[in-house]
Amino acid sequence: MVRTLSLFLAFNAINTNVFAAEAGMPQLDPTYWVSQAFWLILIFSILYISISRFYLPKIKNNLDDRENKIKEDLENANKFKQQSETKIKEYELIIENAKKEINKIHFDSKNLLDKDIQSKKDAMEKEIEKEVAKAQIDIVELKKNSIMSIQNISKNIASNIIENISGDKLNENSIKAAVKEISEKNISKHL
Amino acid sequence: MQQFTVYKIGPEIKIGGIDLSFTNASLFMVISASAILLLLFLGSKEKKIVPNKIQLISEIFYTFVAKMISDTAGTKAKPYFPFIFSLFMFVLFCNMIGMLPYSFTVTSHIIVTLIMALFIFIAVTIIGFIKHGFKYLSIFVPSGVPTVLLPLITIIEIISYLSRPVSLSVRLFANMMAGHTMLKVFGGFVVSLGILGGWLPLSFSVALTGLEILVAFLQAYVFAILTCIYLNDALNLHH
Repeated sequence: MVRTLSLFLAFNAINTNVFAAEAGMPQLDPTYWVSQAFWLILIFSILYISISRFYLPKIKNNLDDRENKIKEDLENANKFKQQSETKIKEYELIIENAKKEINKIHFDSKNLLDKDIQSKKDAMEKEIEKEVAKAQIDIVELKKNSIMSIQNISKNIASNIIENISGDKLNENSIKAAVKEISEKNISKHL
Repeated sequence: MQQFTVYKIGPEIKIGGIDLSFTNASLFMVISASAILLLLFLGSKEKKIVPNKIQLISEIFYTFVAKMISDTAGTKAKPYFPFIFSLFMFVLFCNMIGMLPYSFTVTSHIIVTLIMALFIFIAVTIIGFIKHGFKYLSIFVPSGVPTVLLPLITIIEIISYLSRPVSLSVRLFANMMAGHTMLKVFGGFVVSLGILGGWLPLSFSVALTGLEILVAFLQAYVFAILTCIYLNDALNLHH
């Protein structure tokens, strides 16, 4: 209770003090008007001069520099982009040319090879034909020879057989003729 | 209203019988101006392509004011950019520093805002007469008004032109004073209602502080943009 009362009294005292000070508006008291005007003009002039002389040009420079830098960077980026595009085109052209060249080389070499193979083949065929013809001639010769030797052998055998059987020696020419007759009959089948 | 009282700091300075003593108002003007200069100094000290925080803040202020001027007054107002920038920054910092407890709000004094508004008014009028000569008076005669209404409109225009410094100064002064007074009243309620009932005015106080910060910014913006508009009237006659 005492506490509440003392608090109340304290607040009351503060309030009365505060309100006592509040009598009237200090703004309308002209005592310090001239002083305020004087200091305002002085301080604001200093502020204005230092801002307009030193700080605003600096900030403006900074902003302009940044804008220029950004512009420059963008321009550079565009330039580089164009450069890279032309380079890509050049590169594509080179690749295209290279492809054409490859095709040409491929075609040419194929032609060359074909020709080479063809000529070699022809030569080889001619050789083979020659060999075959030669071989055929040889075969015919051999056959003839063999027939002759067969005739001889068969004549000898025939005369021997006749001698052994009959004990007579026949005329060699007649035997030969006979063998020749028979053999020619048979040989004509083989030749 | 103790917070609005002006008192002397240091020795009494009297020049020609006029009291020019350094007061708490002067002190807070100095604090605001130093804060602005410090911010701009730190903001323009390093020249970075990617700005740091403080550089970014000063550049945001710069572009904000530059855009405001070019939007309202066009390119002709470029020479006045440093003045409007200083004005905006000064009013903004005075308002914002005034929001700190136990500080003094320079802009809550009618004499301060009136001096600024009168300076703007006189400067704009002089600029208008220099740029357009006596043709500047045609600002009071709007085009496309019926002849019958013309004298009346002209009188109204003259009154509205002459009341510009008053409206400009009273708007800022009244807003700042009313805001601080309101905060003070709610603070008084918190104390008088005690621990039981004081929570409601306390929460109001918190909300009002947020509102006052908005108002502090808004009034600085309005002050600067109205200056731009007046300048636009003087530079570009008849829009």
